[in-house]
Amino acid sequence: MSKIQALTGNYSASYGAALCKPDVIAAYPITPQSSVVEKLAQFSADGEISASMVEVESEHSAMSVVQGAVMAGGRAFTATSAQGLALMYEPYFRMSTLRLPMVMALATREMTSPETVWSGQQDAVSVRDAGWMQVFVENNQEILDMIIQGYKIAEDPNILLPLNVCYDGFYLSHLSERVEIPEQAEVDAFLPPYKSRHAILDPKEPMAVDPLTPGNILIEYRKSHLEAMQEALAKIEEVNKEFADQFGRNYGGAIDTYCMDDAEIAILTIGSMTGTGREAVDEARKKGIKVGLIKVRFLRPFPVERIREALKGVKAWASIDRSVVFGWNSGPVFMETRAAVGNADSTCNFSAIGGLGGADISLDDITGCIETLDKLKTEPGKKDTLWFSKPVE
Amino acid sequence: MSYLDVLSESKDLVTPGMSACQGCGGELILRKVLQISGENTIIGIPPGCMAGAGVVGWNFSNGLKIPVHIPLLDNTASLLSGVTAMYQKMGREDVNIIGLAGDGATADCGFQSLSAAAERGEHMLYVCYDNEGYMNTGFQRSSTTFKGSQTSTTPVGKVKKGKKENRKNIPMIMAMHGAAYVATASPGHMKDMVEKIEKGIAASKHGFAYLHIISPCPTGWVSKPECGIDLAKKAVKSNYFPLFEVEEGVWRRTVPNPKPIPVTDFIAGLRKFKHLGEDELAEIQEYVDKNNELLEKLTREVS
Repeated sequence: MSKIQALTGNYSASYGAALCKPDVIAAYPITPQSSVVEKLAQFSADGEISASMVEVESEHSAMSVVQGAVMAGGRAFTATSAQGLALMYEPYFRMSTLRLPMVMALATREMTSPETVWSGQQDAVSVRDAGWMQVFVENNQEILDMIIQGYKIAEDPNILLPLNVCYDGFYLSHLSERVEIPEQAEVDAFLPPYKSRHAILDPKEPMAVDPLTPGNILIEYRKSHLEAMQEALAKIEEVNKEFADQFGRNYGGAIDTYCMDDAEIAILTIGSMTGTGREAVDEARKKGIKVGLIKVRFLRPFPVERIREALKGVKAWASIDRSVVFGWNSGPVFMETRAAVGNADSTCNFSAIGGLGGADISLDDITGCIETLDKLKTEPGKKDTLWFSKPVE
Repeated sequence: MSYLDVLSESKDLVTPGMSACQGCGGELILRKVLQISGENTIIGIPPGCMAGAGVVGWNFSNGLKIPVHIPLLDNTASLLSGVTAMYQKMGREDVNIIGLAGDGATADCGFQSLSAAAERGEHMLYVCYDNEGYMNTGFQRSSTTFKGSQTSTTPVGKVKKGKKENRKNIPMIMAMHGAAYVATASPGHMKDMVEKIEKGIAASKHGFAYLHIISPCPTGWVSKPECGIDLAKKAVKSNYFPLFEVEEGVWRRTVPNPKPIPVTDFIAGLRKFKHLGEDELAEIQEYVDKNNELLEKLTREVS
């Protein structure tokens, strides 16, 4: 029998990780992720998990330790936020390009400067081209569930890529919600053990892991990495279905949709703002606005086909981002969606940006976005970026 | 078994075709470390001369007969912490986990992860081959580069004359971490070096072991390739690089040096010091003497 508990997002991540029975855990505390590490340390102190805990001095070392552990044949877990992710960028990039699967929880946080410790997705989106898969979740249950699904996707022999489970710092990391914790036996049945074969450090099988590699071979590795990302799109759907069949919770796969069947206009959301987005859609529908919602779950790989399909027949759409793309005057989901749909200028669309540095994305913000879309829906083309900001007094 | 028997009866696990410079101390150190540790070893060799010389592999080939990985310049000790954690978990403590890094990867950007791994007492042997600079990339200064040295980032010009600062004393700093075993070694004292490698491997089964080995670099120091061993001996004899070990907190001078030669006898053969005048040479002698006094104090009780 699964157990129901009120858990913060961070504790949900800890329980999710523990259920996946990692061999080695190495993490360095950082706001707002710290209680993930603390809880796992407590599990270890109480003998509830058998993972070796390596109490590292930095995130750079955290990612290095887990890389070593996976290359020695183990399953590994870590978690971080913002500056920690930036510090670990060097081994982070290497984890994916060595095709070493693992799951890292990311309690997303705004990047400094201005000095901040609060929510935002700038940390995760800034490394979306570092070769990892990235899923953004809406609630605490989804954190736990996606850590379990994450290992299954990451360790598939046709994928072999690490995966970030990204959840909004504070909004999810520190708020408690009802979370169903599955039985260990159920998770064991879903997630088989993993041992690296292609990159292994073992005297029984002497191998130079990552020799110096010239460009003509390197390009083949990159090609295969990109192909694995594309294969992951199908795997994500498959694992989602398998998980839904076994645990009864279906997240829709790479994207989730809400009220999209007859939608004339659509908003795209990412992360915990999706809950507010669903409310805003309900309110707007009461006023007769035919609006739907697309929850972008995976930013990497980007679900091009599914987004294109979901936006078919939609006259106007806007993405809401909790981060920015410097140089494009827009948010990343907007930029990616424009690229994905192909015929972006035949519809009305704009980028909405809000919730940076811990600012709230309110029901009014999203309602305003929907009303603006509704007003502009007959005028195709890209419109000005809508900032959810209030003038500073 | 005498050290000569140890060496003559063990296999060379390094490719004969590695592309180190003639007279390279690092190559000699790598070969000896692996001869002693044997095939049941995993080694991490970060960017630097040894990695650049091809022992970490090329294309699909390995440069060693054992598993090897080239970590990042700055994470050898933390990467191997993950490897050793897994090997302990699997109950395979018999596998030797070794890092072999140059002084840049050890004393500079790799120092944070090294210091932390030593503090945690990770079960591994970390060997630093100290050629006093970033020799693989063209002789840039590191924090173990000796004062006065000419390097490509501390050139000799009209107003500046080489490196201004004294070296960072990494072996002493590592000893102060309370590691299970810390020692300095020199390829000019092979018996001592072999014994220390053996002790280091033994200590790595229960804690962190650190060896700091002077590595004559004919290309970077601008010295004759055939003089490497002689230089390695003179470095010890002049107290430029004294040989000691620290075991369970006890400091011991393994090669006592009651009649040191002047440091100028050692540096005379090195063009990287050629520009130094009498005052600068006196300063170097003074530093070497002070360092030696400190070592004498630390080792006094047992010497």
